[in-house]
Amino acid sequence: MAKRVLVRFTEIVCPPGASAERVLAEFELLAAALRPGARWMLLAAFAAFDQGARLYPAARGRRFARLDDQVADAYLRKVLGRGDGVAELVERLKGMVVMCYYELPEAKAAIGYAPEPYIAMVSRRRLERYGDDIRAAES
Amino acid sequence: MISVPGVITGADVAADLRVDCDVVVVGSGAGGATMAAELAAAGVSVVLIEEGGYHQTESFGAQSVRALRTLYRDGGGGMAIGKPSVLFAEGRCVGGSTVVNGGMSWRTPPPVLARWAAADGIRDIGEDAMAPFFDEAEAWLSVAEQDPETIGRDSELLYAGARSLGWRIVANRRNQLHCAGTNNCNNGCPTGAKRSMLVTAVPRALAHGTRLYADCRVERVTLDARGRAAGVTGRFRGQDGRRGSALSVRAKVVVVAGGAVQTPALLARSGVKPAARQLGRNLAMHPNANVIAFFDENVTGWHGVHQAYQVREFQSDGIILTANNLAPPMLAALMPGHGRELGELMAGYNHVVTAGPLIEDSGAGRVRTLPGLGAQVFYQLSDRDAARVVRGVELTATAMFAAGARRVLLPVDGAPALHSLDEVRRLLAAPVPARALRVFSVHLMGTARMSEDVRRGVVDSYGEFHGVHGLFVCDASLFPGPTGLNPMLTIIALAVRNARYLRDRCGDYSL
Repeated sequence: MAKRVLVRFTEIVCPPGASAERVLAEFELLAAALRPGARWMLLAAFAAFDQGARLYPAARGRRFARLDDQVADAYLRKVLGRGDGVAELVERLKGMVVMCYYELPEAKAAIGYAPEPYIAMVSRRRLERYGDDIRAAES
Repeated sequence: MISVPGVITGADVAADLRVDCDVVVVGSGAGGATMAAELAAAGVSVVLIEEGGYHQTESFGAQSVRALRTLYRDGGGGMAIGKPSVLFAEGRCVGGSTVVNGGMSWRTPPPVLARWAAADGIRDIGEDAMAPFFDEAEAWLSVAEQDPETIGRDSELLYAGARSLGWRIVANRRNQLHCAGTNNCNNGCPTGAKRSMLVTAVPRALAHGTRLYADCRVERVTLDARGRAAGVTGRFRGQDGRRGSALSVRAKVVVVAGGAVQTPALLARSGVKPAARQLGRNLAMHPNANVIAFFDENVTGWHGVHQAYQVREFQSDGIILTANNLAPPMLAALMPGHGRELGELMAGYNHVVTAGPLIEDSGAGRVRTLPGLGAQVFYQLSDRDAARVVRGVELTATAMFAAGARRVLLPVDGAPALHSLDEVRRLLAAPVPARALRVFSVHLMGTARMSEDVRRGVVDSYGEFHGVHGLFVCDASLFPGPTGLNPMLTIIALAVRNARYLRDRCGDYSL
């Protein structure tokens, strides 16, 4: 998959200010976990999505990667609204990319999600309250 | 390198391996690990093989995408093809899906057991016959309700909404030893409080001498000249993810426990076919859908246990409702919109409750092996099930508004944010095509179903393949139909039962 297309897609689907490079680093790891057939289907759908923009009147013959923000956003909405197989796969690709965005620490922090201190706190509480019970059960 | 006695990972293996044992078990989830532990404790020589990696409790954290990559099959992105397609997730690690599930531990409803006995002539499956196995399983899994301080605000809101409507709502029973309420179930429990197979049956099996091979994909079940189970062959995944060394296991009994997708796929590619052509058919999925409800108050749904309650008011109609907080990556993937709009929706993350129905389905999907794609799931939501999903969504929205929600997002393509129950009812009053529903599943069942009738089933009452001596199935593939509730405890109880059956007939298998 052309990196430029993925970067552009990331810029459009993620909230403003996302670091496309860092999102894509996560995305590449996640995509590598897919089985080859699924990865191939996603890539094929994505290529079709990129080139299909040429048929979108407002794109004036350009592929998705070369569209400005407004036209790229409108084209994406149009494709997602079609409800066909390509739309389903593009929706899935969008889901994967935004998942990777919200895996980034700064994205979690921006929405007030800080699980590590919470996990540490309740883990301590568990041992303080039930330590004897737990040790007895696990012995 | 993992230095746990009895555990051999892909990184530990430098050359092809050949091993002998009495019983080889393929898959270390609820069924396989339980079977391995039970047989090993009875003195049987057991080899347990797991395709996924061996990840210990200390490695589990709050990185959801990392968990998807390392603990789930296909990055958690399974997709059953249909209209709508159904996303599904399966664990792929030592401990299987029990490592990443919510830990709900419910006995099979007696009417379901009665139905299985009546339709398929299954022996020793009634409520009384199964009770001792459930008792045992609940004891070693520490099945209990949550300690009260671990119940989160999202669960409290579902409870409040349901109670205000006069609905029956029950506290969840979970396999947990004083769960801390980290809300990290789906990424692996970071305290070990969730009594997954990783911290229960697998260590027990190892303590009784089981050899566990992780990072090893079983490619075929082998049969001897008489058509009896003779072992398996597989291949390790090397450290760099490439094909590693080969594993060949010679055994007197083969137990396949790879789950409802991989089990029929393995049997099919091994050339093991039942007379009735039922292998891979009859797939049930318990379709789920999520309503995203926004509240004025700070819910902080990640403070507290994954699921504390189930609304059972509509169980007889095949619908139960739950609230389960989703980590930001998962919620973002469900949200409509993108870009700035997505950012604005996600800014309300700490004010969100995600809740929805789990449907006892009547449809039947199929697992097929396709060239180049491997095991592929096909599943069509039936009209009746789609209607149940729609009703479940409306009921969930009803509970959320009763609890004080200000707006909801429904799992229906193109649906706008709705600000009152009237708006929800108006939207759902018009026919909602099944293909517009966004559904997912974490309960796959029934693709190698038990039946004493060889025309209907793949295996007999105790999981032995019809027509192949010594070949057993031991996972949710066995189920003759959906349970309507979380299936883990049913899988485990059946595994205990079937292990005892096998143990008591060691002579038949030369064990």
